[in-house]
Amino acid sequence: MDKTVRININRESYELELEPNQTLLDLLREQLGMTGTKKGCEIGACGACTVIIDGEPALSCMTLALRCRGKEVITIEGMAENGRLHPLQEMAIEHGAVQCGYCTPGWLLSAKVLLDNNPSPTLDEVRSAISGNICRCTGYQKIEESILAAAGRSLPAPAPEGESSPRV
Amino acid sequence: MKLPKFEYAAPESLGQACRLLESRGEEAHPIAGGTDLLMALKNRQKFPKMLVDLGAVPNLSRIEYSDADGLRIGAMVSLRRLAANPIVREKYPILVQAALSVGTVQLQAMGTVGGNLCQDTCCMYFNRSAMVRQSLEPCHKLGGCICHVVSSSEECWAAYTGDLAPALLALGASVSMAGPGGEQRLPLQELFSGDGKRPIALRPGQLLAEIQVPAAPPRSGAVYLKLRQRETLDYPLLGVAVHLTLERGENGHCKTAALAMTAVDKAPILLQEAGKLAGRKLTEAQIRELARAAYKRAHPMKNLYGLTTKYRLSMVEVYVEMAVRQALESAIH
Repeated sequence: MDKTVRININRESYELELEPNQTLLDLLREQLGMTGTKKGCEIGACGACTVIIDGEPALSCMTLALRCRGKEVITIEGMAENGRLHPLQEMAIEHGAVQCGYCTPGWLLSAKVLLDNNPSPTLDEVRSAISGNICRCTGYQKIEESILAAAGRSLPAPAPEGESSPRV
Repeated sequence: MKLPKFEYAAPESLGQACRLLESRGEEAHPIAGGTDLLMALKNRQKFPKMLVDLGAVPNLSRIEYSDADGLRIGAMVSLRRLAANPIVREKYPILVQAALSVGTVQLQAMGTVGGNLCQDTCCMYFNRSAMVRQSLEPCHKLGGCICHVVSSSEECWAAYTGDLAPALLALGASVSMAGPGGEQRLPLQELFSGDGKRPIALRPGQLLAEIQVPAAPPRSGAVYLKLRQRETLDYPLLGVAVHLTLERGENGHCKTAALAMTAVDKAPILLQEAGKLAGRKLTEAQIRELARAAYKRAHPMKNLYGLTTKYRLSMVEVYVEMAVRQALESAIH
């Protein structure tokens, strides 16, 4: 079988020589030097390696790189567009939703999938969307706040009385 | 944690996939979502020489519904797509409950309906990491001749812990298997062998292609309840699915009743006693009787992490009663 595979990663097309037993996580980190995607448990439990494949959240440690043939992959490196941070990233900074930072790329991408499908989620929907991303600093509250704030910002009408970020 | 080396094939038709799997026999393993399989490879629990990717096989990702034929779910439909499907949400909310109770959002997006049904059994000894497992003699499931759950037993006592199986069993689902001898349609329970070591009754070369669920009758309600430690990630430590259909009129007579359980035996259990409720009024005494029958049939073992066997067993009646009441409530409204 032809081992040359074309994969679109962060809106750029890559032609890659892959081994069958290479995971997408290994491809990103070892072969392409995109170390923003974190290697956590490596058995699909922690969510640190979360990326987006064709609009769906995926664990790159549990994805064979070969199976990404013809697909569109978004990693944390592709979250900012045209030099501008994604609102989720901006709100993560503003709300201090980062402690050690290891889970951050994963939950940001999980939250991006949520907001892409549901621009104004409830707190429960936010919690459910990031329930596959473990933060061992246990800084969940600020993560939730920052996602809700990012959702508030992307609402078409500005919130009344100059409130830019809804409280939890 | 590197994956071992293996060959990889991505056949472009179901026939091709079956022929390839048949010709390579035990050496080849199909890969659907891959979330369980790659873990088993990393943990050195399975040793296939070839993975046969079903991702390029056409027509396995369809969800179709008609009032005449009911629901047809392709084996490669992801759990997340199943749960997001408008027809499934409207007519089969129990499938949404079950699909969204599996693993995490990411695992729901990657994992498939077929893969979830055909998942391997779980056991706290077999599922340990390869390194930790070194301290133990290999068990039946790893080719050895001991069971670490029941040390005197000559068989494997791993538990079937799928979430979709009980929900689909309660709905009366059937499955289509493709294979060298053509396609075969069977009741879902025949997919499960009851053998902890080899829980899925598919021969080499046979693949689960489609799941069929009868049309949802009026005045019916179905509920899946899952006992676990955390609200995310965990496999069930007990899962109870109940499906009730009521007769027309106000008297609350039961037309059909089905109850299925998971995580309390080597295969999901479809409790025959539930059928006795058909044609009878669902009283408190009868709900308790059904719960008692489920309790007697359930056989949780010390093979899963988390809650004690005693607690899991004592929750059987509680969960059955809760599930029946909730199903009744949704059948009435």
